[in-house]
Amino acid sequence: MLRVDHLTKRFGDNVAVDDLSFDVESGRVTGFLGPNGAGKTTTMRVVLGLDRPTRGSVSINGRSYHDFPAPLREVGALLDAKGVHPGRSARNHLLALAASNRISTSRVDEVLEQTGIASVAHKRVGGFSLGMSQRLGIAAALLGDPGVLLFDEPVNGLDPEGIRWIRDLFATLAREGRTVFVSSHLMSEMALSADQIVVIGRGHLISQGSVDELTRHASGSVFVSSRDDARLTTSLRERGASVMVSERGLEVSGASGSEIGDLALSLGVAVSELTPQRASLEEVFMELTADAVQYGATRSDS
Amino acid sequence: MSGLSLPSVVRSEWIKFRSVRSTLTGLLVTVGLTIGLGALIATAIRGHWDQMDPIAKLTFDPVSTSLGGTLFAQFATGVIGTQFITSEYSSGSIRTTLAAVPRRGLLVAAKLVVLVLTLLVVAELVCVGAFLLGQSIFAGVVPTASLATGGVLRAVLLGGLYLTLLGVWGFALGLILRHSAAAISTFTSLLMVLPIVMLLLPASWQSAASKYLPSELGRAMMSSAPRLDLFSPGVAVTLLVVYVALTTAIGTTLLVRRDA
Repeated sequence: MLRVDHLTKRFGDNVAVDDLSFDVESGRVTGFLGPNGAGKTTTMRVVLGLDRPTRGSVSINGRSYHDFPAPLREVGALLDAKGVHPGRSARNHLLALAASNRISTSRVDEVLEQTGIASVAHKRVGGFSLGMSQRLGIAAALLGDPGVLLFDEPVNGLDPEGIRWIRDLFATLAREGRTVFVSSHLMSEMALSADQIVVIGRGHLISQGSVDELTRHASGSVFVSSRDDARLTTSLRERGASVMVSERGLEVSGASGSEIGDLALSLGVAVSELTPQRASLEEVFMELTADAVQYGATRSDS
Repeated sequence: MSGLSLPSVVRSEWIKFRSVRSTLTGLLVTVGLTIGLGALIATAIRGHWDQMDPIAKLTFDPVSTSLGGTLFAQFATGVIGTQFITSEYSSGSIRTTLAAVPRRGLLVAAKLVVLVLTLLVVAELVCVGAFLLGQSIFAGVVPTASLATGGVLRAVLLGGLYLTLLGVWGFALGLILRHSAAAISTFTSLLMVLPIVMLLLPASWQSAASKYLPSELGRAMMSSAPRLDLFSPGVAVTLLVVYVALTTAIGTTLLVRRDA
């Protein structure tokens, strides 16, 4: 389990992470979401002991990263896929990492196979595509067979097949009981691969919960289509619901599907469609982080 | 199963050191400059020996002259040392490295072991090679020296140590500055610009101060006979070791304190 406890990190006057606290449970994939500049990478760097927290702390299974005798066997991380010496071969890069933590050479060949880059293992990393570099970064993260895995924007540069592969990999790792913590600014991706989601903006925790919980909290509406939309609209508005009328039917918010159904029955209006419109995770995300977008585009109303 | 230790991190750093082409290139340049330029200088002196003035002939040192290529090879070892750390910053691999080895002091120690051992072996071999080749070129025309003579073996071996220490100095500057260009230009300035700055000092200070220049310490280390204008080899080695150790200590402290 990964615990971030009242973490604050300043760079000069800029507060990257501000009193952030959350837990990441094992056995599931936890998405770490936020707009660019929200503090996701900084948080991950503090977890790995690369940056020193200004205040607060981070612990992995109750211990600090610096206390692990062989950190790669406890925590695997993909931070920056291009962060490999371009002149070194993929295999030598992994061999060097393995040697420091006393991980066997056979394990190096195993992760090369597992990530599908065994055929280019002896090629210089400088010639790798971003997708291949991502796979090498993932191989490095898996090297020590760690219980906790961190991935910073892992789908960047992957082709659709690669994205599917990585989604399956996360699910498998979580099923094996590992803690899988994946950052992304793409809500749609997380909706497909994460069980739990931590949303941050401007270094603050905005929301935390399962994908279902997050979308349920968001203001959902109900789409209704009936034989007599006009009568239903009048009656709904009398009850305080807001109704948007379109050619296809009514978009009702402020009343649940069953309330609308009961009302239609009492009015004797036949309903042909009654569909709760669940807010997409994308919409929830936009709503949640609307105030926290640091570099948002300036809107011009015309 | 144990984890991080000096031997395990040394093995890791050795894999990194030998698996990039720039290391081999740098070592080949070191060999080429020390032996090749040494031979070139020796050949030129042999050819002009008859025209040389008597005082120059009197103060001629066949040992330090045959090691003249080190004056250029020092830049090659300096670059090897610098690149060993700055390439980690330029590629971004420093974060992967520090995540694998969070004990940063241990990382520096391991890199030093790899750097010092490799450079020492190569530099000692090329210095002995340059010396022997030089003497064989001098033979018959120019006075020669033998490793069996007092002070000669010491001067040759200290030549190798000088190249090694400058490699470590380049590494230490890389630790502090983190950028290849900044580290290498600082390194070059210490060796080439500082002596020129010295010329601006009053004459009476010049001789006292210039003895402390790293390049002058190198000359002192590679002299087989005592020289009035230089420190004794023992003092020179000590001073150079102090320079390099202080710079390394500053670099290590910064690495430990700074965010990666």
